[in-house]
Amino acid sequence: MRRIGHFMHAAVTIILLIAIAIPFIPLFFSSFSHGWRWPEVIPHAFSLRAWVYVFSGNSGTWEAVWTSLEIAFIVTLINLLLALPAANVLGRLRFRGKWLIEGLIYAPIIIPAFISVMGMYISFIRLGLTDSVTGVIVAHIIPTLPYMVRALIVSYSTLGFQWEEQGQMLGASGFQRFCYIVMPHLMPGIVAGASLSILVSLSQYLVTFLVGGGQVMTLPLILFPFISGGDPAIGSAYTLIFAGMAAFALFLMDFLLKRYYGKKVTVHL
Amino acid sequence: METLQLQAIEKHFKETNKKSKEGSVFSIKPTTITIQEGEAFSLLGPSGCGKTTLLKLVAGLLTPDNGDVILNGNKITSVVPEDRGFSMVFQEALLFPHMMVEENVAFGLKMKGIRKKQRLKRARETLTSVGLEGFGKRYPSALSGGQKQRVSLARAIVTKPRLLLMDEPFSALDPGLREEIRDLVARMHKEYRMTILFVTHDREEAFQLSDRIGVMKNGGILQIDRPRNLYEKPKDPHVARFLGAKNVFYGKLQEGKFVSDDFQVQLTYAQNPEQSGWLVIRPETLSIHKESAEQESNVFQGTVQKLSFRQGFYYIKIQTGSKVLEIVQHADVRLDESEGKAIWLRVDPNQLYFIPEKG
Repeated sequence: MRRIGHFMHAAVTIILLIAIAIPFIPLFFSSFSHGWRWPEVIPHAFSLRAWVYVFSGNSGTWEAVWTSLEIAFIVTLINLLLALPAANVLGRLRFRGKWLIEGLIYAPIIIPAFISVMGMYISFIRLGLTDSVTGVIVAHIIPTLPYMVRALIVSYSTLGFQWEEQGQMLGASGFQRFCYIVMPHLMPGIVAGASLSILVSLSQYLVTFLVGGGQVMTLPLILFPFISGGDPAIGSAYTLIFAGMAAFALFLMDFLLKRYYGKKVTVHL
Repeated sequence: METLQLQAIEKHFKETNKKSKEGSVFSIKPTTITIQEGEAFSLLGPSGCGKTTLLKLVAGLLTPDNGDVILNGNKITSVVPEDRGFSMVFQEALLFPHMMVEENVAFGLKMKGIRKKQRLKRARETLTSVGLEGFGKRYPSALSGGQKQRVSLARAIVTKPRLLLMDEPFSALDPGLREEIRDLVARMHKEYRMTILFVTHDREEAFQLSDRIGVMKNGGILQIDRPRNLYEKPKDPHVARFLGAKNVFYGKLQEGKFVSDDFQVQLTYAQNPEQSGWLVIRPETLSIHKESAEQESNVFQGTVQKLSFRQGFYYIKIQTGSKVLEIVQHADVRLDESEGKAIWLRVDPNQLYFIPEKG
């Protein structure tokens, strides 16, 4: 039995490695290629053109990376503040109509966020939120919040009330109980929810395009024209930067949370 | 003098479960208890009798619908639990898994704003007094069940609480460990002179640990007294049965005799004539004779139905007429072979106790 388990473990690891690593190989070649046509297995000529363009001052790459990260982290922080009380109630209490509220919160997973943003667009114009980073942040909350709430509901439902009662009996105030007892328990859920929230926010294109009106340039926005417009080399280079940015964002979040809570909490990413 | 008083405290729960359409309602009937400083007080009762609810009402984790909790003459009914200065040991140890043992113990002191060095020092001292010296740097996951519960106890007493509440803290432990921790609590009670309110369904535990016991049933207190008085002079047949006086019979007092449907017992002391109630014959007050002595009064013939031997005592069930009497005997006589045999029982009239029926 143990042998079979070991074999399965190895097989799954290898399949996952292939599925994740292999797509990067052509991407890597493509970004350094100078024309790469079928049926060539590897490009016949290499050049640094794409990378020189991406890192040149007037391409706006770094601004876009910064804008993307800024939006993703602020969105995630707001999500956390919104999701904590919601998940607390949905995860631990039973009340009439709970399924309806849960359904409404999860709706953006099924219904594209684009639809609700279209509906909100007029209000956005009236409030002066269009063409601004603030507007994009508000719009990004719609598709990302369900993931955060979902992850925190799971964490809250395993918490129960007994730990906080014990904290209360030891003289901990509401805020202290939250910091010292509830937060450490929720940490795995927060990490899971925040990871999804960051990734979903980073990869938004249509919503950013609509609300940002071309004024808020995130990485997907400058990446897209190159893929659709016929410069696959630059498109590939941007895709690699995008992957690197997402990995960096997850690593940074993990690092900050682990540093803040020390080794006390085991955080799995 | 720290006195805790529960004054006509009441709490009702409505069952909101859709399945039970009858709407079964559980409630704590108006209850009044006074607990003196330094006293170890137990609430004893079968599970589901409301003892934990009562404890949570004292702790403030639940708010009563009526009545008040009074500490030294001050109403603390609306004071939140964290400001009452009580400690509580729960059924499970509930050690915070992300903190080391000494951090767990020091948690209450941290909440009071005591400096790290000092609170860790006090935590280690308390750990030593519960017999866990040197365990401070471990995480709770590396402790056994008994050790966890001892840490939990240390964490509750390190703050020197005005009142220590315990909710069946030993019920999740093995019998051996249970006894060990019971002794520890008894020692802590003496050493720190704490007031303890203790909830249990185990009568041995209650008898061993408490100065006074309140016996509960269906959300109400039946009787509060010292353990020995409760056992020897119960005011209610339920109290008698719950405390292990198994032979409780309903009948009538007539001319100095207790008359039940198929037996009568001569009583020594004078009673109000013509009164119905319950006669309590404690199992250890009956004596067994192998030879017939039926000419004497208060001697009954019976057959041994079941006989079991436990640590120096025989526990015997004897059928007399339509009733089954339970007897506890010192195992100094050999009775092994007597199952199914006829036997004679002598009732000591001085050891009988009569509970008059109310109303």
